[in-house]
Amino acid sequence: MFVVGYLFSGVTHSHHSFTSEFTAEKIIKLNGNVKQVWFRNPHVRYLLTVGTSEDKSETWDLRGSPVVWLARKGWTKDIISMGDNIIVEGYPGHNGRKMLSIIRVTLSDGTVLIDRAPE
Amino acid sequence: MPCLLLKANELDFEGRWIVSLQDNKRTLVGLLEIEKNNQDWKAYLEGGPVEIKIKENEIEILADSRDVRGFVFNRRLSGSLEDNKIQGRYQQEGTAAQKEAPGPWSAIREQISDLSVESPSKTKSADLTGIWTATQELDFRKYSMTLTQDGKDWLDSYLPYYDQPDVRCTSIGLPALVTYSFPFEILYSNERLTFLYEYQAKVRRIWTNDEKPSSFMTSSRMGFSNGIWEGNELVIKTRLLEKTVRDFRGELISENALIEERYSISDDGETLTALIIVDDPDNYERRPIRRRQWVRNSSTEIFPYSCDPDSFYIPMYEDGEMQMYIDRSPLRF
Repeated sequence: MFVVGYLFSGVTHSHHSFTSEFTAEKIIKLNGNVKQVWFRNPHVRYLLTVGTSEDKSETWDLRGSPVVWLARKGWTKDIISMGDNIIVEGYPGHNGRKMLSIIRVTLSDGTVLIDRAPE
Repeated sequence: MPCLLLKANELDFEGRWIVSLQDNKRTLVGLLEIEKNNQDWKAYLEGGPVEIKIKENEIEILADSRDVRGFVFNRRLSGSLEDNKIQGRYQQEGTAAQKEAPGPWSAIREQISDLSVESPSKTKSADLTGIWTATQELDFRKYSMTLTQDGKDWLDSYLPYYDQPDVRCTSIGLPALVTYSFPFEILYSNERLTFLYEYQAKVRRIWTNDEKPSSFMTSSRMGFSNGIWEGNELVIKTRLLEKTVRDFRGELISENALIEERYSISDDGETLTALIIVDDPDNYERRPIRRRQWVRNSSTEIFPYSCDPDSFYIPMYEDGEMQMYIDRSPLRF
């Protein structure tokens, strides 16, 4: 469970402004265990426990699209549960804040969930 | 007799143009206004200012925009004017979540349609009923607008995210709701259209008779709407609006605003297009324009929408920002 590193940019979305919260300058990838699930509008939220190299952990605040958008694509409440190990990619928070605007989640069985709404 | 090709004069750029830009996935359309005041060129795209350079028959425009995640970027349009048409290439600049490949763009003179040909009518002319799903077409998503001093002062005081209505489950209202990418359904009944929006589960009543708001009716985020048919085009005018922000950027819509929406449907009845114009002289020197397109989608449904603002308030509390939020209460609505 570690911060994996930077990827190329790509992909889109979310419904309301995360401009003040997230940066488009880079995409990062996290591997961790889900600590808390908020599957509600106006946007879903997961807390993720991520291990660090000093044998410690930190909590990341993951933000996704509204429930109505995700549910339409089969991303339902029970697809990610507390304790699940996931890999998530997204736009990180400004100024080093441990927040992430979700682009893609990979579940432990290899299932890939894309948080991508149309313009 | 040899053909004489006249090279465009710089002043030929002046006027109102309809710009069409081809991204690799879609076509964007917008109104470009070019003016010359003394020696300075000024230009506006969809009501918002853009940088412009003109030399002989060459033109370059730098227009800001934003993607759905809210990341701001520019499009640089370079081209030349010949035979009363501007053509060239454009490219995206800056960091955006949605990448656009360089592509062609063109502009032709705006054609003012003679609306008097079609007598306004309260009779339903086209079938708009059904569920509509947004496409990615048309809208430039022009970011900055031409604000009055009051509009600028308001924007300076706005704190993005924290002052945004929808993060705390408050209605975003008009015109933002019309431009959002979630599906909506149109129902038709006698002398009334009803729009059911999935996002925030909002309802709009559009009266196609002489219905007027009662003297006791309060202003609201949805306002009071009357619709009239101009041929096959449904023209909706909405007043009695409550203050809100035009978009999450935070520009103000005043209670004096009038919002005009012009809906037209394709010949096959499968594509619906809207032109949305905000007339609010309190805040805008030029009317902001947005566009939206949908396709008829009988295979989808409008999902229920309930909203819980905990995802907004709890992190704010944990970050020690709650007092700041409370102190700013008078600035929010």
